Amino acid sequence: MADRYFNPFQAIDIHVPVEFHDSVSRYSQTGGNAVIDQSPFPRMVDFWFLAVCVAARLDLDPEDISRYATKKIIDGAIFGSDPWRVHTLMLIAIGKTGDVEIVSEPRKMMALVSGLAVAGLPKVIEMLKEGDAEPIWNLSDAIDSLLRKRAA
Amino acid sequence: MKLLCAEFQNFRLLRDLELRFSVDPHKKLTVIRAANESGKTTILHALQWALYGDAALPGKGDGFRLHPIDWSAPDGKRVPITAMVEFELTTYRQIGGELREARRRYRIVRAAFEEVDATARRTASTMRLFALNDSGASPIESPEAFVNDELPPELREVFFTDGDRALSFIEADVAQSTKRERVQRAIRSLLGLGVIEQAMKHVQKAAADVNRKAKQVGANAELRNIASRLEEIDKESGKFEAALADAKQQFAAFDEKVEETDRKISAALQKGDKEKLRKDLEHAKREIKQLDDQLAAANKEHSALFRNREVATELLAPVLRRAYDKLEELHDQGKIPNTTIPVLQNRLTAEICICGEPLVPGEPDCDERRAHIQKLIDDSLRADEIQEIITDLYYGAKPLPTDGNSWLDEYKKIVERRDGLKALRDDGGRKFRALEIELDALPDTDVQGLREARRQYKEQRDRHLSKSSSIETQLLSLRREREGLNVEFERLLREQKKGARILAELEVTQDVSRVLQSAYDRITKEELRKVSDLMNRIFLEMIGADPEQGAIIRRAEISAEFDIKVHGPNDRTLNPDRDLNGASRRALTLAFILALTKVSEVEAPNVIDTPLGMTSGYVKRSLLRTAIRESAQLILFLTHDEIAGCEEIIDDAAGAICTLTNPTHYPKMLLNDPGSAERKVLRCSCTHRNDCPQCQRRTDSDIRPEMAS
Ligand SMILES: [Zn+2]
Ligand SMILES: [Zn+2]
Repeated sequence: MADRYFNPFQAIDIHVPVEFHDSVSRYSQTGGNAVIDQSPFPRMVDFWFLAVCVAARLDLDPEDISRYATKKIIDGAIFGSDPWRVHTLMLIAIGKTGDVEIVSEPRKMMALVSGLAVAGLPKVIEMLKEGDAEPIWNLSDAIDSLLRKRAA
Repeated sequence: MKLLCAEFQNFRLLRDLELRFSVDPHKKLTVIRAANESGKTTILHALQWALYGDAALPGKGDGFRLHPIDWSAPDGKRVPITAMVEFELTTYRQIGGELREARRRYRIVRAAFEEVDATARRTASTMRLFALNDSGASPIESPEAFVNDELPPELREVFFTDGDRALSFIEADVAQSTKRERVQRAIRSLLGLGVIEQAMKHVQKAAADVNRKAKQVGANAELRNIASRLEEIDKESGKFEAALADAKQQFAAFDEKVEETDRKISAALQKGDKEKLRKDLEHAKREIKQLDDQLAAANKEHSALFRNREVATELLAPVLRRAYDKLEELHDQGKIPNTTIPVLQNRLTAEICICGEPLVPGEPDCDERRAHIQKLIDDSLRADEIQEIITDLYYGAKPLPTDGNSWLDEYKKIVERRDGLKALRDDGGRKFRALEIELDALPDTDVQGLREARRQYKEQRDRHLSKSSSIETQLLSLRREREGLNVEFERLLREQKKGARILAELEVTQDVSRVLQSAYDRITKEELRKVSDLMNRIFLEMIGADPEQGAIIRRAEISAEFDIKVHGPNDRTLNPDRDLNGASRRALTLAFILALTKVSEVEAPNVIDTPLGMTSGYVKRSLLRTAIRESAQLILFLTHDEIAGCEEIIDDAAGAICTLTNPTHYPKMLLNDPGSAERKVLRCSCTHRNDCPQCQRRTDSDIRPEMAS
């Protein structure tokens, strides 16, 4: 299937609002931070992706990213190696809009999930900071309790 | 004599130290609180150097460096070393039938310069003595003689004692003759028997003169021959006696070295094997490295929890389920083909259909079936873009909606793994630090080298022993020959005209000699008895409260042969090493020292390092109390451990207390950074009851974390 698999986000850059960029970089190892306990995310895109998931989980409304000054963190080609991420983003788009046809409009999908990321980023940053331990433990415990709330 | 104060500059660890001692008759005790390696032994040396010069230093000061070992060159290449001691003398004078007490104060200053290089060459020290009075200080002539009168150098060991070394008066690992000689020397010099010894030498010389006269008395050739021979014998005997004394002294010196080396060897062995510790340390280091690697891997796995699929799909479970339901709906409506191109393509390549029918090209029916499948593929390829994406998504995203809990399970495992590794790592770290401390505490001893040194010392010692016994034999035969010749000599003299007068002179010298000898023996015997009795009383009082020892010890004495002996029930002689515990051995030597000082009626200080080591509880307190009572001035160097349990006694008896600190003990034993790593003893006025930032120490649990096993 690999040869036929296609990544609709291939040509689209992933952006975050400028105000969050420092935090995204600070908590990611690709931001140049070696101490895992302080910077739990392997890559900036993992931070961004978790923000999307958290926002969707909490059923937050996507923000309108076009109203923000943004900064690129990476281009969409990154998903070329992870088909499940592409599928997940597409399902989120379908779930949020209720419209299956949205899958043919990559930019619209990206605008939607990026809007979710903007809504989710402050939540994840809060998770990292809230607690007495290092960010990795604070975040782990927050995700743990979020997963246990089955009702969402 | 009582010590008032002392000041030292650049004397080894004592770069600049001042000490005050109590002279209050109601507060006779001075306590200098100091941990080991905080300059106690150095102060003992410095005090003795001030009073007696290089002769009082180890090895008579030969090769014994005095300047601080970390002296830095910019401070000068010649180090000025000074030691100052002020003391008080009480004299009694009969004035108009009344005994008047007079106190005078004196100051001794000794100074020397030492080169800062490997040779550590030192100028001969100069010593000056001043009498202190209201108008100032007036110098006193021949200060050495003055000090020798007030604190006889033979008694250095009695006035300045190291609790451990003092045991050498009784310890079994020194030769009997060495102990005997030490006790004898101490007693004789304290009792002033030196004067009688001098007189006896005088009389001997007078007898020799008589001999010479006899030679000139007449023409009798035989008489002249005998007189010459007697003269020769006396000369020879004198030489032999000097050689014997020298051999005995050498024997004692080497015996002491053998014993000292033994102590070093057993201390080194007791503390453990350095090589083994090093290996253990290496092993601990490797273990820590492995744990660190495992911890790093566990951290990476922890981090991977935030990029793995489960975190997304399990967080998104409700969202994904809803969206996928929509795709299922389309599929049920037939809007998503059941097959996909890759699946069909695979079938064609595999030449077998999903239903099991063969799809071999060229075979009957098969070509037809292959054509049908190829048509399905072509239809799919023709489907519009949306259809294609949705189909792809429908099949690709099928596994994404989930009810699993695998993220929580994985997280739990990682927490356990990290916690477990962390605990192991902490243990490993503690173990490593404990080993490091243990290794640091080890003296850099080369046990092999010590054994070799011991062998050589022992060889030397034994050589001097056999030398002295051969000299003794020669002396004995000379003495016999002399006796025989003497009988003949007197007979021949009687036959001479002038012989009677010479004979009378000879008899007089012999009588005087006998009188002196018996006085010498009597004083020795009587005073010995006094010292012995007082020692016994003090000793029994010190250990009286120890039920364990009380049951086996009856009395202690100094025998006529100058052996310190302890007796048990039925007058059985006990072996101090085997039958006495550490506290009793210490009590016995302290009792001897105190008794000796007291019987001599010399008012003198007792400066003792580590007097209470190896003692505890009631015995420790009784030992301290008795020592305070029996001494004229008691200056004790005590460790924190020795002080423990004796605080109230010190409250009552101490007129001066201070604390010494070695800043290089930071951070291992000291709590606060002294701000300087210079090797230098610092003093603070903290007492046995308090401490300050300078002297505050870590508790045992801080410095010796439990070994994880
Ligand atoms: Zn078939
Ligand atoms: Zn202090």
